[in-house]
Amino acid sequence: MLLSFTEEQVDALLPTFLFVDRNHNISAMGSSISRRLPEVRIGMPCTEAFQIHNLEIERFFEDGYSTKPIRLVSRHNDFSLYGAAIFHDDGCLLAVRFVLSEELFANGPLDLSDFGHTDPVVLSTMLIALQRAMLEEAQNISLELARERQRSTDLLIRTRRTAGYLGHDFNNLLSIIQLNADRMLRLYGQDKKIAKLANIINETATRASQTTKVAMTLVKQHTGTLQPLSVDAVIRNNISILKSVVGSTVTISLNLQADKYKSVFEYNELLGGIINVIINAREVMPNGGRIEISTSVESGQISGRKVFQPSGNDKYIAIRIADNGVGMSEALLSRAFEPRFSSKPGGTGLGLASVRDFAIERGGDAWLESVLGKGTTVHILLPVVQQSEPTCSIEVQCPEENLLNEPGAQRILLVEDEPYALEALAEMLEAEGHAVTSCMSSEAALKALEREPFHILLTDIVMPGSSGIDIASKASADRPTIKVILMSGFEPSQTSLQPGWLFLHKPLDRAELLQFISA
Amino acid sequence: MYGMIHRAMRQMVLERLGYEDWLALEQKLGIGPPELLTGMVYEDALTQEIIAEAAVQFNLTFDECLTEFGRYWVRYADHGSFSTIMQFTGQNLASFIANLDRFHLTVGAAMPGTRLPSFTLLSSEEGHLLVQYQSERIGMEKFVYGLFLGLMDRFATFGDVTVTSREAKSVIFDIRFAEQCC
Repeated sequence: MLLSFTEEQVDALLPTFLFVDRNHNISAMGSSISRRLPEVRIGMPCTEAFQIHNLEIERFFEDGYSTKPIRLVSRHNDFSLYGAAIFHDDGCLLAVRFVLSEELFANGPLDLSDFGHTDPVVLSTMLIALQRAMLEEAQNISLELARERQRSTDLLIRTRRTAGYLGHDFNNLLSIIQLNADRMLRLYGQDKKIAKLANIINETATRASQTTKVAMTLVKQHTGTLQPLSVDAVIRNNISILKSVVGSTVTISLNLQADKYKSVFEYNELLGGIINVIINAREVMPNGGRIEISTSVESGQISGRKVFQPSGNDKYIAIRIADNGVGMSEALLSRAFEPRFSSKPGGTGLGLASVRDFAIERGGDAWLESVLGKGTTVHILLPVVQQSEPTCSIEVQCPEENLLNEPGAQRILLVEDEPYALEALAEMLEAEGHAVTSCMSSEAALKALEREPFHILLTDIVMPGSSGIDIASKASADRPTIKVILMSGFEPSQTSLQPGWLFLHKPLDRAELLQFISA
Repeated sequence: MYGMIHRAMRQMVLERLGYEDWLALEQKLGIGPPELLTGMVYEDALTQEIIAEAAVQFNLTFDECLTEFGRYWVRYADHGSFSTIMQFTGQNLASFIANLDRFHLTVGAAMPGTRLPSFTLLSSEEGHLLVQYQSERIGMEKFVYGLFLGLMDRFATFGDVTVTSREAKSVIFDIRFAEQCC
């Protein structure tokens, strides 16, 4: 079967075709040759325009070929063409196409018009380029989602803190109201009208307290819970997310050696923190690189100024996230943890700051090490929680041996910075037969502890100066048998409570308090 | 439509109005990052809702917004991850439009489920193109009109686009253009 095509039709299939007559001159060519190689002209010897590889043009018509592969290289620029030489009586059709390198595709002068409609190479090259573009978009979306998640987490944490502070203050006020309503009932309860009014006040304060609890619980429902978790498990279970965040040009390797240990933290806090760090790492390695996430258990101590000293007996899970990027200068390093400071255009400066806030809040620390040109390592320490030693959970009483428990004979150190609450509480406890030393400040309480022994320390937590936790720590260290009862409208973190300490939520319930005292 | 359209609309709102206005749009429509995934195909109704709400924010009619968006779309695609492919599709107005179907062939292969339009260059003369637009979708004529305006911007030309005939699934556009002098 002989098929016959016009030049125009051949051009639609092969815009780079050439026709060479028996004198080896170019007698026809495709539109793309005219467009991209203007120095090539009709009538010109083919060898003047192109170097011909793998075939000798002088023997084109002597060897009796039917078709042969052929490669041409332009003598005027770097264009290469590849295809087949198809021989017949009148001459030779060079059914060739541009060799489409990645560079030529991305930055060259060619476009789709230079390739035939049925050219499969162009379709696949475009498909690969499109897939790459989509991958890049997917990575950008991963980053956006990670940032969105972090923003939401930050907002929830701030909201929870605000709700906690408000709840604390409101519960303190309710506690004063309830304690004084109890006091009124006790002192003037024989008058039925006063007793009725006191009961109304008490009931209303109790209902208000329930409302506060519901509001605080609702806020907490949207955040993770504080619980002992394995850092290694969090990292291992989220490795695919971490890999998608860093993209295909950055590799992540894991060296996790703290599998048997747990620390108390919120799941999303840690995950968000790690994502923040690796986003920073990715951005300083635009041409790719390596991130190693490792964990180990270190012994040491974090001093009051949150500086880790390797000499000490406390155990910490040490997380190290190391990149081999450009590193940081001393100046940058010194500011890296500042809130709102960012070295990147459009950066919020909240990423690293929130990582350190999280670590410090959980009793640990975070810091950076960096060498210019070599990379940066982010260190995060979280205290190990001893799983073998049961901790006393909030609002759950832990029995303690050897407590003095003769009713009416307890010596109680009462610490409360709200004078109306202090007065009402002292009066109530004294009415129960206890010997009460009242202190309105932590300083006064610490002095009282040095002065005389107490059976019970009953203290508010949030106060100006030292907190109730500080007073309790001192009291427990000086006198291990002392019963510590903490009270607050704000729930303290579990890690700040020592085993055996009791906690009462404000507003105080009189019966519950007396039960704690006498237990 | 695929999510890249939604992302482009978001970028247009961000550039012209700001982040708060985009957040307000998201909240009103109940959408968020999951509705902005580039390669995901979404219901046309959602895309129309987004454009309609953006039109309200821009204080434009729906059709005016579609035109503005069509024009913006070319600029958006040209500066993002897809710039290389845009460049390879064509280096002047005529070749770009002539090659759009081949470009869409690749898009269709990469994003199954998309319903892509077809553009046929009916005639091409110096400064004058006659283009047939065909699509299963109804109501995108103004977007395509904006698209041609955007392509004229892209190739440093200016001119007019008019509709010469209109059928159920086909519209013929007459594009007259000249190169910008400087």
